[in-house]
Amino acid sequence: MNPRAAHHRVLVCAATVISAGLLLTACGGDKGDSKNSSGADAKGAGDKTSNVSIEITDKDCAPTPASVPAGTVKFKVHNKNSGKVTEAEVMDGGKMLGEKENLTPGLSGDFTLTLDAGKYQVYCPNAGTDHTDFTVTGAAKKTWKDDPQLVAATQGYATWIDGEVKELVSSTADFTAAVKAGDLDRARVLYGKARIHYERVEPTAEIWGDIDGRIDGRADDATTPADFTGFHRLEQAIWEKKSLAGTEKLADQLNADVQNLYTKVQTVEYQPAVIANGATDLVNEIQSSKITGEEERYSHIDLLDFEGNLAGANEAVSVLLPTLKQKDPELADTIATRYQQTADALAKYVAKPGYEQTGYVDYRKVTADQRRTLSQTVDAYAEAVSKLAGKIA
Amino acid sequence: MTDTPDITPEDRAPEQVPAVSRRRLLGAVGAGAAVAGAALGAGGAVLATRDGNSGSPGSGAAEPDAGAATVAFHDSHQAGIATPSQDRLCFATFDVTPTASKADIADLLKTWTAAAVAMTRGEPVPGDVGDVNTPPDDTGEAVGLTPGRLTITLGYGPGLFDDRFGLAKRRPSALKTLPRLPGENLDPAVTGGDLCVQACADDPQVAFHAIRNLRRLGFGTVVPRWMELGFGRTSSTSPQQATPRNLMGFKDGTRNIDATDTAMMGQHVWIGEEEPQRWIRGGSYLVSRKIKMRMEQWDRDRLGDQQDVFGRFKGSGAPLTGSKETDTPDFSARSDTGYVIPARAHIRLAAHENNKGLRILRRGYSYTDGIDPQTGDLLGGLFFIAFMKSPDQFITLQRVLGAHDSLNEYIQHIGSGLFVTPPGLSAGQDWGGQLFG
Repeated sequence: MNPRAAHHRVLVCAATVISAGLLLTACGGDKGDSKNSSGADAKGAGDKTSNVSIEITDKDCAPTPASVPAGTVKFKVHNKNSGKVTEAEVMDGGKMLGEKENLTPGLSGDFTLTLDAGKYQVYCPNAGTDHTDFTVTGAAKKTWKDDPQLVAATQGYATWIDGEVKELVSSTADFTAAVKAGDLDRARVLYGKARIHYERVEPTAEIWGDIDGRIDGRADDATTPADFTGFHRLEQAIWEKKSLAGTEKLADQLNADVQNLYTKVQTVEYQPAVIANGATDLVNEIQSSKITGEEERYSHIDLLDFEGNLAGANEAVSVLLPTLKQKDPELADTIATRYQQTADALAKYVAKPGYEQTGYVDYRKVTADQRRTLSQTVDAYAEAVSKLAGKIA
Repeated sequence: MTDTPDITPEDRAPEQVPAVSRRRLLGAVGAGAAVAGAALGAGGAVLATRDGNSGSPGSGAAEPDAGAATVAFHDSHQAGIATPSQDRLCFATFDVTPTASKADIADLLKTWTAAAVAMTRGEPVPGDVGDVNTPPDDTGEAVGLTPGRLTITLGYGPGLFDDRFGLAKRRPSALKTLPRLPGENLDPAVTGGDLCVQACADDPQVAFHAIRNLRRLGFGTVVPRWMELGFGRTSSTSPQQATPRNLMGFKDGTRNIDATDTAMMGQHVWIGEEEPQRWIRGGSYLVSRKIKMRMEQWDRDRLGDQQDVFGRFKGSGAPLTGSKETDTPDFSARSDTGYVIPARAHIRLAAHENNKGLRILRRGYSYTDGIDPQTGDLLGGLFFIAFMKSPDQFITLQRVLGAHDSLNEYIQHIGSGLFVTPPGLSAGQDWGGQLFG
């Protein structure tokens, strides 16, 4: 039934707990509501949410009640006084469905899942009894997993992500080899060739915040200079310091981190709405860190990153497009049109072989007015993409 | 020092869940008030509105005493022109994107109409509510706030009537870019635009919310060109309103057109039978000018000179030839040294008596953009907005003022716009249908 093998991490839960109603809306009567007027009838209304409280102690994290009917379940997690146990997860066998982390004593948090009938476990690492059973009763609800088209979409997306991260591993190896050889010229060109793969898969990489921080963090994210590692630390060495002296360890760490990412990525299971919202995140990324020139502040290869984010968003949208076309052809058209407009806007800056062989001009050559035009085009695309998740889920 | 009326938004109600509770809130606020119950769309809920301007702008509506009042959207003229000036403004202009078609604009204007109707009633932008996977259709920052007499006034710039959208044959006869005027130094970044939206309300967040949501609905069809947030109306447009002061500390709207005077409005403000384009009759031309004040220099000018520059006493607001604010200036009165109201005084040059009866309806606001990064001086001044039947009224006046006004030493026109605002819509009509015919 699962598109990928067991022990998969579910992207939705790790990244953000926004999944309430995800599956719910997938199976609630679809009204194909492309009109934008009536308000009121929130999709899936009529389904009840069950509330389950989880009290974290050193002893355990038993759920109350221990059994609920199938549907939307809201878990309220409270850490009363344990400094040792600070998180609770809901597991389906070896698979984590949702969690609340970093709850220091006194803190509470909640997350919502849509659960089919079955046996689950609440898991709190380091507690005396760390697993407690949790039962969901009633008829199994239909979910997106009963829709072969959506299952194919998530599989297709997973395959694509795996492929990209694999290429990230090998292109990063090439790049770091140049770094370790002290070959500045080669490193300048190979940097972008690795970067683009990361930019395509960013929302997936970001579910492991620590790895993402080590690979893609900026100088201003680091609390100490030693915490500034990864691509941008090397970028700074190449373009600003113009010296690769002392970067050997950084290169090795980057290789290890992308390899670790590759291992982890293969365990991710994607849900359609999460893929869709990942697309919005990618387009927002263009807006917040590429248009501004923030991300590649030393190398100025921002247009290449732009291409990466855009391709990542387009892939996510493309796998969901067959479903969207059935549910809201008008939105599908709008998204397609605005993607093309964004791609066309970017294409104005194509150059061969281009600045640092990126295929684009040096971003410093793009004027403030031109950046504003790019930004407005991206904004329009993002606005349309942001409506996708609610339609396909 | 200032005698501007104390129109502050009501205490903000606690955060409410969208739609339903907002309606309930409004109903509760409006309940004790005398009025019209308006049946509201889908839910069938009834909102007791306090329509301070019910039906006709000429009805001499009293200044409302609470932020709960709404101004009717559907009327023969657009709201926000004859409406007694609200205290706050958010004004933005937009350009049509190169890829947008005539159909895109028509669609957008239809959507904007629906959103404007809802927002001026104090309701959120219509759409789905509560789907956690989709961004909410309303941005939400006005939830729990009262409608604050919000008005949304739409205008079209000259560029819209070029050959892009087949509108050339519907171009209002006097709509063209303003000619170069004396003394101006216009920044293209705050000049022009294919469309403009003036949102006025007694709460700045309500006004901003309106522009923000229209901008959001416009993605892909229009892009914002510039935006200004105005505070402190600088003119009164009805006799019930006290004359406010501009940032120079002077009363500068005393002799403005009284917008409740329908004859005066017909004569000077509303586009009438003289216009061959029937569809625009009942509309008005909107001139916007961003005027920078050299506030530091002004504040160092001696009181006598400040009063000579305006031709009024700073304290009372009375003309230099009178004792009360509303006294008619005597432009012929002389002292030993010359005219009592100096030859280049602002009120003399702007007076209708000295301009063959020419008048415009001023509806401006003060603005600030913070501090000039180069000099450390305050950046701000007057965001001048005026309505008139023909742009020639402004052009004629500004040619005189721009060339001779003593005030020019302390001000500069840095932004500009000319738009035509169409007449009001009746229920069921939308801006797109009205524009394209």
